[in-house]
Amino acid sequence: MSAITPEALQHELPEQYVSRFADHRIGFGKMLRSEWLKMWTLRSTWWMVGATIVLMAGLSLLFAAVMNLVLNDPDIMAQMAENAATGEGIDMTQFAVGIIIVVLGYQFAQLTVAVFAVMTITNEYSSGMIRATFSATPRRLRTLWAKLIMVTLTTAVISVIGLALAWLVSYPLLDRNNMLVDFSDSTQIRSLIGAVLVLVMTAWFALGIGTVLRHTAGGIATVLGLFMVVPSILGIIVMFAPDLAWLSTIYKFLPSEAGQQIVIPSIGMGMGGGATVPSLEPWHGFAVLSAYAVIALAAGALVIKKRDA
Amino acid sequence: MIEARNLAKNYGDKRAVDNISFKVQPGIVTGFLGPNGAGKSTTMRMIMGLDKPTSGTVYVNGKPYAQHKSPLTQVGALLEARAIHPGRTARQHLRVLAATHSFPISRVDEVIDLTGLTSVADKRVGGFSLGMGQRLGIASALLGNPSTLIFDEPVNGLDPEGVLWVRNLARYLAGQGRTVFLSSHLMSEMALTADHLIVIGKGKILADMPVQELVESASKRYVRVATPGVAALSAAVQAAGGVVVVPAPSADDATARHAANVGVIEVSGLEAPDIGELALTSGVVLHELTPISSTLEEAYMELTADSVEYHTIDVNTREHTTTEPSYTAAGAPKAPAEADMPVAHLSNEGGQR
Repeated sequence: MSAITPEALQHELPEQYVSRFADHRIGFGKMLRSEWLKMWTLRSTWWMVGATIVLMAGLSLLFAAVMNLVLNDPDIMAQMAENAATGEGIDMTQFAVGIIIVVLGYQFAQLTVAVFAVMTITNEYSSGMIRATFSATPRRLRTLWAKLIMVTLTTAVISVIGLALAWLVSYPLLDRNNMLVDFSDSTQIRSLIGAVLVLVMTAWFALGIGTVLRHTAGGIATVLGLFMVVPSILGIIVMFAPDLAWLSTIYKFLPSEAGQQIVIPSIGMGMGGGATVPSLEPWHGFAVLSAYAVIALAAGALVIKKRDA
Repeated sequence: MIEARNLAKNYGDKRAVDNISFKVQPGIVTGFLGPNGAGKSTTMRMIMGLDKPTSGTVYVNGKPYAQHKSPLTQVGALLEARAIHPGRTARQHLRVLAATHSFPISRVDEVIDLTGLTSVADKRVGGFSLGMGQRLGIASALLGNPSTLIFDEPVNGLDPEGVLWVRNLARYLAGQGRTVFLSSHLMSEMALTADHLIVIGKGKILADMPVQELVESASKRYVRVATPGVAALSAAVQAAGGVVVVPAPSADDATARHAANVGVIEVSGLEAPDIGELALTSGVVLHELTPISSTLEEAYMELTADSVEYHTIDVNTREHTTTEPSYTAAGAPKAPAEADMPVAHLSNEGGQR
C-alpha cells in the first residue's frame, strides 16, 4: 500500500466543494465596472443623459434667439435704456449676457440630473435588484461609493458636453450681437466651471436622498421640492416681505439659491429688484450646496449600512 | 455548510425568527419547511447578510457571509423571483453580477444554457413569465459556481417540467458535495427532493431530522380506543405486546367524555380486531375503536398546526379546521390584530405538542 499523501487524505474526508472561480475576488474596480454596466444597460439613463444635454443646448439657443430679437428691436431697446436711466430696470450692458445665455440651462439640467441620480439607487430597491447587488458585493458602503463615482463622472461629462453644445449652438447669434463668452474673464470661467460643479453636487445630494428614502417618486419629489418649489415660494414671500430678515437668511441658504451664486450671481437674474435679496458670496454659496450634498450622502451611508435590504 | 446559532429576528414587536440553531450540511439537500410566515425567508435573508439578526449569528463556510472575499463563489442564492431589474435583459443582468467578481463572459453563457434561457437571453426581464424569472434567479445563483446554494421557494411558478428540473438540479448539485438549502411550504415537494428536513413554525424549529426518519414517524399507525375501563384494557394490551399511549385530552374529549368517565388511549403494535378481542376477554366496554394511519402530509400538518400563521375557517362548520386544545389557548396572550381579522385568524402562541 502506498503512503497516504495529503491529496489522498483529503479525498477521504467529506470534501467541501470548492468553486472553480474561488480565486475571483471582489474589488472596488470590479464594482465600478458593474455599476457602469448597470447604468448604461438601462434606458432611463440614456433618456436622462439625452434630456440633460438637449435641455442645456436647446435653452441656450432659445435664450440667444430671444436676446437677438430684443437687441434688434429699436422700441424695446429704447424702453430699456429709459428704464436704466431712471434706475428701475437692469442695465443689460453691465452684465456679460453671453455667458448667462450659455450656462442658464444648468437650472433645468439640475432637474434631469437629480432624477437620474435618485434613480441610480432607488431603481435597485423598487425592482429588488438591491438584494442581488448586496449578495454579490456585501460591503454595502462600497456599493454607495461606486455609485457615487459613476454618478459624478457621468454628470460631469454630460454637463461639459451640454455646456460645449450650448456654447456652440448659440455662437452665431451671440457673435452677431457681440456677446461671445470671454474666456479670458475669470468670472465667466467660474460660471462655466460652476455650472458643472453645481450639477455634480445636485447629483450627490439626489443620490444621498435616494439612498435614504429608497423610493423613486419620494426621492425625486424631495429633491425637486427643495430645489425648485421651496425657492420659488420662499422667493415670492421674500420679495413681498423684504423686512423679514430671517426669511431672507433661509432663502439665501437654500441649496439651489446658494449653489446658483457660483454660476450666475443673483444680481444678474430677474427676480425683481435682485439687489434687495442678499446672497452669499459665490464660493461660499457653493460650499453651502456642497454641505447639503455631503450631509445627504452621510445620511444615505448610515441608512444603507444599518437598515435591512 | 451553514451554521446558525441562537438566531433571532424581530420586526417591530413581532418575533419572526425565534432563537433558532441549526446546521446545513454539505453533500445533501436540506429542506427548509414551514407554513407561510414561519420565518423561512427571513432566515435565508439573514444568512445572506441582507437582514441583520436581532441576536445570534449565522455563518456560511466558517464566517459571516459579508466577510467572504469572493461571496458569489461561496453562496448562490435565489431569494425572491424578482431580485432583477425588469429593464435589463437576462444576459445584461448576469453580466452586471459577473463583473463584480470578473467572472469570464463565457460563464454567463454557460448558466444561460444550463437554465434553458438561451432563446430569451437577450429579451428584457420585464416580459418574463414567473417561471422564466425563477430560472434567471437560479442562473444568477449558479453564476459563481458556489459551494453553497440557497433557494427560497424555487418551484414557485414553475410548470411540472420545471419542478422536476429543479428537483434534479438540487440533487445533482448536492451530489457534487455542495450544500443545498431549499425552502418550501409543500411537504410533498420536500419529501421528493430533500434528504434532511428542518421544519420551522412561528420562527421556531419544530423538527430537524432526516426525511427518512420523519417518514417513519409519520407512517406510524395506531388504534384510537375510547373506553371506561382504561386500566383493565391497557393492562391486557400491554400483556399482548401492544404499546399504550395516553394522548393529551382534546377539547371535545374533555367535555363530552369526562362525565362518563371515559378515557382515550392510543394503541400501537396491535390491530383493531385484536384489541376488540382483548376487550371482550377482559370484559371491557368499548366506545370507540378507530384505526388511524397518518400520511407524511398529515404528519407535517400535525407538526405545524400550532404554528400556522393564518388558520382557515371551514365554511361548513364555521369552526377552525385545526383544532387547538383549549387549555393552550387559555393562558396565551392574544394578538391585538386578532379581533380585526374577519376570516383569517391569527393564532396565538400555543405550546408545541
